[in-house]
Parts: sequence; structure tokens; C-alpha cells
Amino acid sequence: MSGEPGLRLVSSYDGADVEVLIGRVARGDAQAFERLYDELSSAVYGLARRVVRDPARAEDVTQDVFLEVWRKAARFDATLGKAKTWVMTIAHRRAVDAVRRNEAAKRSDGHGAPDEVTHDEPVERVIEAEERGAVRDCLDTLTELQLESVRLAYFNGYTYNEVATLLEKPLPTIKTRMRDGLIRLRDCLEGAR
Amino acid sequence: MNTDLHTLSGAFALDALSSEEAAQFRTHLEECAVCRQEVRELRAAAAQMGAVEAIAPPESLKARVLATADRTPQKPPKVSPLSQARGRRWAPRLAAAAAAVVVAGAGAFGIAQIAGDGGTTLQAGVVQVFESDDAHTAEVDTSHGAVRVATSPERGEMAVDTSGLHTLDQGHVYQLWSIVDGTPTSVGVLDDPGKGASMAMPEPGTQVAITVEPAGGSDRPTTDPIVEVDPASV
Repeated sequence: MSGEPGLRLVSSYDGADVEVLIGRVARGDAQAFERLYDELSSAVYGLARRVVRDPARAEDVTQDVFLEVWRKAARFDATLGKAKTWVMTIAHRRAVDAVRRNEAAKRSDGHGAPDEVTHDEPVERVIEAEERGAVRDCLDTLTELQLESVRLAYFNGYTYNEVATLLEKPLPTIKTRMRDGLIRLRDCLEGAR
Repeated sequence: MNTDLHTLSGAFALDALSSEEAAQFRTHLEECAVCRQEVRELRAAAAQMGAVEAIAPPESLKARVLATADRTPQKPPKVSPLSQARGRRWAPRLAAAAAAVVVAGAGAFGIAQIAGDGGTTLQAGVVQVFESDDAHTAEVDTSHGAVRVATSPERGEMAVDTSGLHTLDQGHVYQLWSIVDGTPTSVGVLDDPGKGASMAMPEPGTQVAITVEPAGGSDRPTTDPIVEVDPASV
């Protein structure tokens, strides 16, 4: 990471490289898969940790995500979005599924309430501070209700129905806030580029 | 209805819909290019939010993932939806008029009936269910030909391949029903059985049946089902 401080090298490097790697993975290139893992495993594992909480289960989710990427790389369509988005979408879907399966199992076991939200342990954060900063700044532009709705759904794996119940708001309100919140985040991130 | 569905794009991008709603929304997406683009953009924004949480995984995980990938076959690229269909070869269909969306009844789940690739084949949504890694499939011989059923717990969807059913005369149609406690509710008329139909996985205890009805469909079945399936047993 040479160059002047503040130079935005990270995202362009990230973008190009990962797209190329996915193409090679699609052709069965194990080395490319290993490099792809190096590039994206922190993002995938971090999101899985945040959603499922339990480190061992987050590892399982991460493994499942990368296997799905391995198996389906040939189906990735670069005209429809960035490879990292594709991988993170798979990661989120699988993390949320794991949480919901767990909740369903707990309910049928007769253990009631969902886990209390615990605070993150201090862990190594490997993403570039600058990119992180841009997302945080943009999240600050959301209204409180937009932010709450988006975060509870995305990071806790709640359905919008559950979010509405939790926040004691009507369903249409929450549904709209989620969309408006994400649109605001999208527009802000585009502007920050 | 579409405006209402459209506002679900945010919740969909956050994976915050129930599996039934998500399946309905995916059906909507097949018809709505604007919505697909919006979902892509919102997912990209969500993904960036998710990436903020990055934490290096334990070293040991890498070896485990690489070793597992090494013994896992890869899927070939999608050439056309049909080229990947498992099992038997799919009978090619003559091009038919684009099927109208016919959704009747209580709207317990939506039926996807849209014109696919040239209107000649099973629609993509159906093929996707048959192709899912966790798909359970069954083939039933009926008095009117074979019906194939697939369920995918992971997708929360069920699909029927009705392309093996005989063509009916102009005065009759196949109609799909969900039956709960002996009470049938119309899911929709199969305007073009060659396309099949997909729907959110019905609630446990629901039977899915197909009858032959007068053109336009019926409010209640007027004939005995040619096939009745418990999705949970597929």
C-alpha cells in the first residue's frame, strides 16, 4: 500500500482482481480459488460472525459459502454485478439461514427467547479503514428508523415482520424504511467513490 | 399490487422476507427488470455494509475449505435453462402464446406463469427448483401423462413440471389447486403446461392437486384430480 496517504488504491485493486479470480475459479483453477479465499474470507467470516455470533458456526457458514462459490463460479454473471457482491450475498443468505434454522430448532426444543445481542469481542479488523469509514459515514446519513430497520434485518437476521414487532411499527413502515435506507446508503456510497 | 410488491425490494435485498414472500418476490422479479436492477444495487450496498465487519478467520479454516473444494465437483455454466435439467430429456414444446398470469383464490401462494425463452420451454423458475442442490423430486404417472414434482427446502419453493401432460382440447385447461383440510383453493390455471409452475412451498398439511376444468378455470374443482401430491412427501 504505497503512495500518498488517502490514495484510494484498495477498492480498484480489489474489484479487478476478484473478478478475474472468479473467472479462473470457474475453470477449475484451485490456485485462483485459494487467492479468492485470501481476498474475501475476512469479509465473509466477519459477516458470518456478526450474524450467527458463534465462531464455530461462523466457520461452518464460511466454508459453505466458499464451497458454493467454488461450485457455482461458472454461473456467476459479471454483467449483473461485482463478484464481491455476489459472494457477500451468498454469505448473508447462508448466515441468515443458519440463524433461522437455529431459532426454529430452539423453539421446537422448548428453549424460548432468542439470544441476547452480545457485544463484539475485540478482534482484528482487516478491512481498509478508509472504506470502512465511507460506509460508516454513509450509514450516518440514514434516519434512526431506517438505520435500525436495516441493521436489525441485515445483522440480526430478523424478518421485516420481526423488526416491525420489535420496533412496534406498522409493517408497511418498516418495509419502506428498509428500502429507503438502502437506497440512501447506495446513493451515498456512489457519491463517495 | 405491483407497487406494493415493489417496496419489498429493500427487505428482499436484506434477506428479511419469509421464504414464502421471498419466493413470491422472485416471481415478481422475473417480470420486472427495473426491480431486478434495484435489487442488484441494494444488495451491493448491503454487501459493502457487511464487509465493514471483516474479521480474519482462523488459519485452520483455509486448509479445510481448500481440501473440501478439492473433492467437490463444479457446476457447468448455464447454457440454457434446459441444458442442466436432471433426469430425462425434456420434450421440446412448440412455441405457444405467452401465458397470461392467472392467479385466483386466496393468494396463499403465487404461481409463476410467464413467457420464458421464446415460450417453448419450462420456465426458468421451475428449472431452478428442479436443479437446486437440495431438490427432492418425484414423478407421478397420471391418466393424462407424467407430472414431475420438485421441492427445495433451501429455496422454500416447489415446482411442477407439467410438460409431460397431454394437450387438452380448446375447451379445457389444467388447473392447479392447494387443498387444506379437504378445502381446495385455486392456485391458477396452467395456460401453457409446457412451462410448468413454481410456487412458494405450501404450509405443512397442504396437498397440491391438478384437475381438468372448462376453459378459463373453475372456482371449485369440477372433476376428480388427475394427480394429488403432498409436497412434504416428495
